[in-house]
Amino acid sequence: MLLQLGLNGCYRGVVRPSVIARASRTLGKRFNSQAVKTTFEKEHEILVAQRGNRPVSPHLTIYQPQLTWYLSSLHRITGVILGSGFFAVTIAFGISTLFGLGLNTENLKNYYKEKVPAWADWTAKGTAAYFFAFHFGNGIRHLIWDTGKELTIKGVNRTGIVVLALTAIGGTALLFK
Amino acid sequence: MLQRSFVKEGLARRALQCTARRNLTIPFLSTLPQKAGGVVGTPNDAYHPPAVDKMHGSYHWDFERALAVAMVPLVTIPLAAGGSISTVADSLLASVLLGHVYIGFQSCIIDYIPARVYGKNHNYAMYLLTLGSVFSALGIYKLETEENGIIGVLSRLWTADRESQESKKD
Repeated sequence: MLLQLGLNGCYRGVVRPSVIARASRTLGKRFNSQAVKTTFEKEHEILVAQRGNRPVSPHLTIYQPQLTWYLSSLHRITGVILGSGFFAVTIAFGISTLFGLGLNTENLKNYYKEKVPAWADWTAKGTAAYFFAFHFGNGIRHLIWDTGKELTIKGVNRTGIVVLALTAIGGTALLFK
Repeated sequence: MLQRSFVKEGLARRALQCTARRNLTIPFLSTLPQKAGGVVGTPNDAYHPPAVDKMHGSYHWDFERALAVAMVPLVTIPLAAGGSISTVADSLLASVLLGHVYIGFQSCIIDYIPARVYGKNHNYAMYLLTLGSVFSALGIYKLETEENGIIGVLSRLWTADRESQESKKD
Protein backbone atom coordinates (compact mmCIF):
# COMPACT_ATOMS: atom_id res chain seq x y z
CA MET A 1 0.00 0.00 0.00
CA LEU A 2 2.88 2.28 0.85
CA LEU A 3 4.37 1.63 -2.54
CA GLN A 4 1.06 2.31 -4.22
CA LEU A 5 0.46 5.54 -2.40
CA GLY A 6 3.55 7.57 -2.42
CA LEU A 7 6.63 6.06 -3.87
CA ASN A 8 5.67 5.94 -7.53
CA GLY A 9 8.78 7.22 -9.18
CA CYS A 10 9.18 10.13 -6.85
CA TYR A 11 12.94 9.69 -6.48
CA ARG A 12 13.64 9.55 -10.17
CA GLY A 13 16.06 12.17 -11.33
CA VAL A 14 17.39 12.77 -7.84
CA VAL A 15 19.24 9.51 -7.34
CA ARG A 16 21.24 7.60 -9.90
CA PRO A 17 19.21 4.97 -11.81
CA SER A 18 21.51 2.16 -10.70
CA VAL A 19 20.74 2.99 -7.07
CA ILE A 20 17.01 2.98 -7.82
CA ALA A 21 17.30 -0.37 -9.53
CA ARG A 22 19.23 -1.89 -6.63
CA ALA A 23 16.88 -0.41 -4.04
CA SER A 24 13.73 -1.52 -5.82
CA ARG A 25 15.19 -5.02 -6.24
CA THR A 26 15.83 -5.23 -2.51
CA LEU A 27 12.50 -3.64 -1.59
CA GLY A 28 10.69 -5.91 -4.00
CA LYS A 29 12.26 -8.96 -2.44
CA ARG A 30 11.56 -7.80 1.04
CA PHE A 31 7.99 -6.48 0.84
CA ASN A 32 6.30 -7.20 -2.41
CA SER A 33 7.49 -9.25 -5.28
CA GLN A 34 4.75 -7.97 -7.59
CA ALA A 35 4.69 -4.27 -8.44
CA VAL A 36 1.07 -3.09 -8.83
CA LYS A 37 0.09 -0.60 -11.45
CA THR A 38 -2.40 1.89 -10.09
CA THR A 39 -4.21 5.06 -10.98
CA PHE A 40 -4.71 8.32 -9.10
CA GLU A 41 -8.40 7.49 -8.54
CA LYS A 42 -7.55 4.12 -6.99
CA GLU A 43 -4.93 5.69 -4.74
CA HIS A 44 -7.45 8.29 -3.67
CA GLU A 45 -9.98 5.60 -2.82
CA ILE A 46 -7.42 3.91 -0.57
CA LEU A 47 -6.58 7.25 1.02
CA VAL A 48 -10.24 8.03 1.74
CA ALA A 49 -10.75 4.54 3.22
CA GLN A 50 -7.65 5.06 5.37
CA ARG A 51 -8.92 8.44 6.57
CA GLY A 52 -12.05 6.69 7.84
CA ASN A 53 -9.84 4.42 9.99
CA ARG A 54 -7.95 7.20 11.67
CA PRO A 55 -8.47 7.60 15.42
CA VAL A 56 -10.77 10.37 16.54
CA SER A 57 -9.10 13.16 18.48
CA PRO A 58 -9.84 12.81 22.20
CA HIS A 59 -12.49 14.93 23.87
CA LEU A 60 -12.15 17.27 26.85
CA THR A 61 -12.27 14.47 29.43
CA ILE A 62 -8.73 13.38 28.48
CA TYR A 63 -7.19 16.62 29.75
CA GLN A 64 -6.08 17.12 33.32
CA PRO A 65 -8.40 19.53 35.13
CA GLN A 66 -6.49 22.80 35.45
CA LEU A 67 -7.40 26.31 36.49
CA THR A 68 -6.59 27.63 33.01
CA TRP A 69 -9.17 25.83 30.94
CA TYR A 70 -11.69 25.28 33.72
CA LEU A 71 -12.06 29.03 34.29
CA SER A 72 -12.17 29.59 30.53
CA SER A 73 -15.10 27.17 30.19
CA LEU A 74 -16.76 28.65 33.24
CA HIS A 75 -16.46 32.13 31.72
CA ARG A 76 -18.46 31.11 28.68
CA ILE A 77 -21.02 29.06 30.64
CA THR A 78 -21.68 31.88 33.12
CA GLY A 79 -21.85 34.38 30.25
CA VAL A 80 -24.41 32.29 28.37
CA ILE A 81 -26.58 31.76 31.46
CA LEU A 82 -26.51 35.46 32.46
CA GLY A 83 -27.11 36.45 28.83
CA SER A 84 -30.08 34.07 28.62
CA GLY A 85 -31.57 35.72 31.69
CA PHE A 86 -31.09 39.15 30.12
CA PHE A 87 -32.66 37.95 26.86
CA ALA A 88 -35.56 36.28 28.67
CA VAL A 89 -36.57 39.48 30.46
CA THR A 90 -35.98 41.96 27.62
CA ILE A 91 -37.54 39.72 24.92
CA ALA A 92 -40.57 39.19 27.17
CA PHE A 93 -40.98 42.97 27.41
CA GLY A 94 -40.41 43.32 23.64
CA ILE A 95 -43.04 40.74 22.72
CA SER A 96 -45.44 42.17 25.29
CA THR A 97 -45.03 45.62 23.72
CA LEU A 98 -45.51 44.25 20.19
CA PHE A 99 -48.67 42.28 20.98
CA GLY A 100 -50.02 44.49 23.75
CA LEU A 101 -49.86 41.86 26.51
CA GLY A 102 -49.50 44.48 29.23
CA LEU A 103 -46.34 43.21 30.96
CA ASN A 104 -44.71 45.70 33.30
CA THR A 105 -42.19 45.67 36.13
CA GLU A 106 -44.91 45.67 38.77
CA ASN A 107 -46.91 42.65 37.56
CA LEU A 108 -43.70 40.78 36.70
CA LYS A 109 -42.60 41.33 40.30
CA ASN A 110 -46.00 40.21 41.62
CA TYR A 111 -45.92 37.10 39.46
CA TYR A 112 -42.40 36.31 40.65
CA LYS A 113 -43.36 36.86 44.28
CA GLU A 114 -46.48 34.70 44.11
CA LYS A 115 -45.44 31.86 41.81
CA VAL A 116 -41.74 31.34 42.45
CA PRO A 117 -41.09 29.30 45.62
CA ALA A 118 -38.37 30.37 48.03
CA TRP A 119 -35.92 27.63 47.03
CA ALA A 120 -36.19 28.59 43.34
CA ASP A 121 -35.81 32.26 44.24
CA TRP A 122 -32.64 31.53 46.23
CA THR A 123 -31.29 29.27 43.47
CA ALA A 124 -31.90 31.93 40.83
CA LYS A 125 -30.41 34.69 42.96
CA GLY A 126 -27.43 32.58 44.03
CA THR A 127 -26.74 31.61 40.42
CA ALA A 128 -27.09 35.19 39.23
CA ALA A 129 -24.95 36.62 42.06
CA TYR A 130 -22.02 34.20 41.87
CA PHE A 131 -22.11 33.85 38.09
CA PHE A 132 -22.18 37.61 37.66
CA ALA A 133 -19.36 38.13 40.16
CA PHE A 134 -17.28 35.52 38.34
CA HIS A 135 -18.02 36.74 34.82
CA PHE A 136 -17.34 40.34 35.83
CA GLY A 137 -14.03 39.51 37.54
CA ASN A 138 -12.89 37.08 34.90
CA GLY A 139 -13.91 39.54 32.18
CA ILE A 140 -11.53 42.09 33.68
CA ARG A 141 -8.90 39.33 33.81
CA HIS A 142 -9.42 38.79 30.09
CA LEU A 143 -9.07 42.52 29.43
CA ILE A 144 -5.79 42.53 31.40
CA TRP A 145 -4.57 39.69 29.17
CA ASP A 146 -5.61 41.70 26.11
CA THR A 147 -3.12 44.37 27.13
CA GLY A 148 -0.41 41.69 27.12
CA LYS A 149 0.01 41.45 30.90
CA GLU A 150 -0.14 38.36 33.17
CA LEU A 151 0.25 36.03 30.22
CA THR A 152 2.57 33.55 31.95
CA ILE A 153 1.43 30.31 33.58
CA LYS A 154 2.21 31.93 36.91
CA GLY A 155 0.23 35.05 36.00
CA VAL A 156 -2.72 33.01 34.71
CA ASN A 157 -2.90 30.96 37.90
CA ARG A 158 -2.38 33.95 40.17
CA THR A 159 -5.09 36.05 38.53
CA GLY A 160 -7.35 32.98 38.40
CA ILE A 161 -7.13 32.49 42.15
CA VAL A 162 -7.75 36.21 42.74
CA VAL A 163 -10.87 36.03 40.55
CA LEU A 164 -12.16 32.98 42.44
CA ALA A 165 -11.60 34.69 45.79
CA LEU A 166 -13.35 37.85 44.60
CA THR A 167 -16.20 35.72 43.23
CA ALA A 168 -16.72 34.13 46.64
CA ILE A 169 -16.74 37.51 48.41
CA GLY A 170 -18.55 39.54 45.75
CA GLY A 171 -21.12 36.85 45.00
CA THR A 172 -21.99 36.48 48.68
CA ALA A 173 -22.25 40.26 49.09
CA LEU A 174 -24.58 40.49 46.07
CA LEU A 175 -26.73 37.60 47.20
CA PHE A 176 -27.58 39.26 50.52
CA LYS A 177 -27.83 42.77 49.11
CA MET B 1 12.53 -8.93 12.21
CA LEU B 2 12.39 -7.83 15.83
CA GLN B 3 11.78 -4.26 14.74
CA ARG B 4 8.99 -5.29 12.44
CA SER B 5 7.24 -7.28 15.12
CA PHE B 6 7.49 -4.23 17.40
CA VAL B 7 5.91 -2.10 14.74
CA LYS B 8 3.13 -4.62 14.24
CA GLU B 9 2.47 -4.85 17.95
CA GLY B 10 2.45 -1.07 18.23
CA LEU B 11 -0.03 -0.77 15.40
CA ALA B 12 -2.23 -3.41 16.97
CA ARG B 13 -2.24 -1.60 20.28
CA ARG B 14 -3.01 1.68 18.54
CA ALA B 15 -5.95 0.05 16.85
CA LEU B 16 -7.31 -1.08 20.21
CA GLN B 17 -7.00 2.43 21.62
CA CYS B 18 -9.12 3.94 18.86
CA THR B 19 -11.97 5.80 20.50
CA ALA B 20 -15.39 4.94 19.20
CA ARG B 21 -16.62 7.66 16.91
CA ARG B 22 -19.08 9.67 18.93
CA ASN B 23 -21.32 12.20 17.34
CA LEU B 24 -21.63 14.98 19.85
CA THR B 25 -24.23 16.81 17.84
CA ILE B 26 -27.44 18.54 18.79
CA PRO B 27 -30.11 15.81 18.42
CA PHE B 28 -32.94 17.81 16.83
CA LEU B 29 -30.82 19.61 14.22
CA SER B 30 -30.09 17.92 10.89
CA THR B 31 -26.42 17.57 9.99
CA LEU B 32 -24.53 17.36 6.72
CA PRO B 33 -22.84 14.08 5.71
CA GLN B 34 -19.19 14.34 6.77
CA LYS B 35 -16.13 13.21 4.77
CA ALA B 36 -14.04 10.33 6.14
CA GLY B 37 -11.82 11.59 8.94
CA GLY B 38 -13.22 15.07 8.41
CA VAL B 39 -10.80 15.63 5.52
CA VAL B 40 -11.91 16.97 2.16
CA GLY B 41 -9.99 16.56 -1.12
CA THR B 42 -6.64 15.12 -2.13
CA PRO B 43 -3.17 15.75 -0.70
CA ASN B 44 -2.33 17.84 -3.74
CA ASP B 45 -5.15 20.39 -3.46
CA ALA B 46 -4.06 24.00 -3.31
CA TYR B 47 -5.02 25.93 -0.18
CA HIS B 48 -7.63 28.57 -0.82
CA PRO B 49 -7.57 31.02 2.07
CA PRO B 50 -10.85 32.79 2.87
CA ALA B 51 -11.16 36.32 1.54
CA VAL B 52 -9.59 38.95 3.77
CA ASP B 53 -12.36 40.76 5.61
CA LYS B 54 -11.57 43.20 8.40
CA MET B 55 -15.18 43.07 9.59
CA HIS B 56 -14.55 39.42 10.50
CA GLY B 57 -11.04 40.09 11.76
CA SER B 58 -9.42 42.98 13.55
CA TYR B 59 -12.45 45.32 13.50
CA HIS B 60 -14.63 42.59 14.97
CA TRP B 61 -12.06 41.98 17.70
CA ASP B 62 -11.79 45.71 18.44
CA PHE B 63 -15.58 46.08 18.58
CA GLU B 64 -15.86 43.09 20.90
CA ARG B 65 -13.22 44.59 23.22
CA ALA B 66 -14.78 48.06 23.08
CA LEU B 67 -18.11 46.62 24.27
CA ALA B 68 -16.38 44.59 27.00
CA VAL B 69 -14.36 47.59 28.23
CA ALA B 70 -17.50 49.77 28.21
CA MET B 71 -19.32 47.14 30.29
CA VAL B 72 -16.92 47.63 33.24
CA PRO B 73 -17.95 51.18 34.27
CA LEU B 74 -21.55 50.70 33.11
CA VAL B 75 -21.94 47.74 35.46
CA THR B 76 -19.94 49.33 38.27
CA ILE B 77 -22.20 52.43 38.39
CA PRO B 78 -25.44 50.61 39.39
CA LEU B 79 -23.47 48.39 41.79
CA ALA B 80 -21.98 51.46 43.49
CA ALA B 81 -25.27 53.38 43.43
CA GLY B 82 -27.16 50.47 44.98
CA GLY B 83 -29.65 50.01 42.16
CA SER B 84 -31.02 53.50 41.46
CA ILE B 85 -29.38 55.05 38.40
CA SER B 86 -30.38 57.60 35.77
CA THR B 87 -32.29 56.56 32.67
CA VAL B 88 -29.28 57.53 30.53
CA ALA B 89 -26.93 55.24 32.47
CA ASP B 90 -29.50 52.45 32.38
CA SER B 91 -30.11 52.86 28.62
CA LEU B 92 -26.36 52.80 27.95
CA LEU B 93 -25.96 49.72 30.12
CA ALA B 94 -28.86 47.91 28.43
CA SER B 95 -27.72 48.76 24.89
CA VAL B 96 -24.07 47.87 25.41
CA LEU B 97 -25.11 44.72 27.24
CA LEU B 98 -27.33 43.73 24.32
CA GLY B 99 -24.37 44.11 21.94
CA HIS B 100 -22.10 42.20 24.33
CA VAL B 101 -24.56 39.32 24.69
CA TYR B 102 -25.27 39.30 20.93
CA ILE B 103 -21.58 38.96 20.08
CA GLY B 104 -21.10 36.33 22.79
CA PHE B 105 -24.02 34.23 21.55
CA GLN B 106 -22.75 34.61 17.99
CA SER B 107 -19.40 33.12 19.05
CA CYS B 108 -21.25 30.21 20.66
CA ILE B 109 -23.26 29.56 17.48
CA ILE B 110 -20.05 29.65 15.41
CA ASP B 111 -18.45 27.13 17.80
CA TYR B 112 -21.33 24.77 18.56
CA ILE B 113 -23.59 25.02 15.47
CA PRO B 114 -20.87 25.33 12.78
CA ALA B 115 -21.91 25.61 9.13
CA ARG B 116 -19.44 22.80 8.32
CA VAL B 117 -21.57 20.31 10.30
CA TYR B 118 -25.05 21.84 10.40
CA GLY B 119 -25.22 23.58 7.01
CA LYS B 120 -28.20 25.90 6.82
CA ASN B 121 -29.12 25.37 10.48
CA HIS B 122 -26.11 27.54 11.31
CA ASN B 123 -27.69 30.40 9.40
CA TYR B 124 -31.11 29.77 10.95
CA ALA B 125 -29.55 29.94 14.42
CA MET B 126 -27.95 33.27 13.50
CA TYR B 127 -31.28 34.62 12.16
CA LEU B 128 -33.05 33.47 15.32
CA LEU B 129 -30.45 35.26 17.47
CA THR B 130 -30.87 38.44 15.43
CA LEU B 131 -34.67 38.23 15.63
CA GLY B 132 -34.48 37.71 19.39
CA SER B 133 -32.13 40.68 19.67
CA VAL B 134 -34.61 42.89 17.79
CA PHE B 135 -37.35 41.90 20.27
CA SER B 136 -34.86 42.49 23.07
CA ALA B 137 -34.06 45.98 21.75
CA LEU B 138 -37.79 46.73 21.63
CA GLY B 139 -38.13 45.49 25.20
CA ILE B 140 -35.24 47.71 26.29
CA TYR B 141 -36.92 50.70 24.61
CA LYS B 142 -40.13 49.94 26.51
CA LEU B 143 -38.24 49.51 29.79
CA GLU B 144 -36.33 52.76 29.40
CA THR B 145 -39.26 54.90 28.25
CA GLU B 146 -42.12 53.61 30.41
CA GLU B 147 -40.53 51.62 33.22
CA ASN B 148 -37.54 51.92 35.53
CA GLY B 149 -35.09 50.27 33.15
CA ILE B 150 -33.48 46.84 33.42
CA ILE B 151 -31.85 47.71 36.72
CA GLY B 152 -35.35 48.63 37.91
CA VAL B 153 -36.65 45.17 36.95
CA LEU B 154 -33.61 43.48 38.47
CA SER B 155 -33.80 45.30 41.79
CA ARG B 156 -37.58 44.72 42.07
CA LEU B 157 -37.16 40.98 41.44
CA TRP B 158 -34.09 40.82 43.68
CA THR B 159 -35.94 42.24 46.66
CA ALA B 160 -39.35 40.69 45.84
CA ASP B 161 -39.18 38.42 48.88
CA ARG B 162 -38.70 41.45 51.15
CA GLU B 163 -41.56 43.41 49.54
CA SER B 164 -44.19 42.60 52.16
CA GLN B 165 -42.51 44.70 54.86
CA GLU B 166 -41.73 47.52 52.46
CA SER B 167 -45.26 47.77 51.12
CA LYS B 168 -46.53 48.38 54.65
CA LYS B 169 -44.18 51.33 54.96
CA ASP B 170 -45.45 52.82 51.68
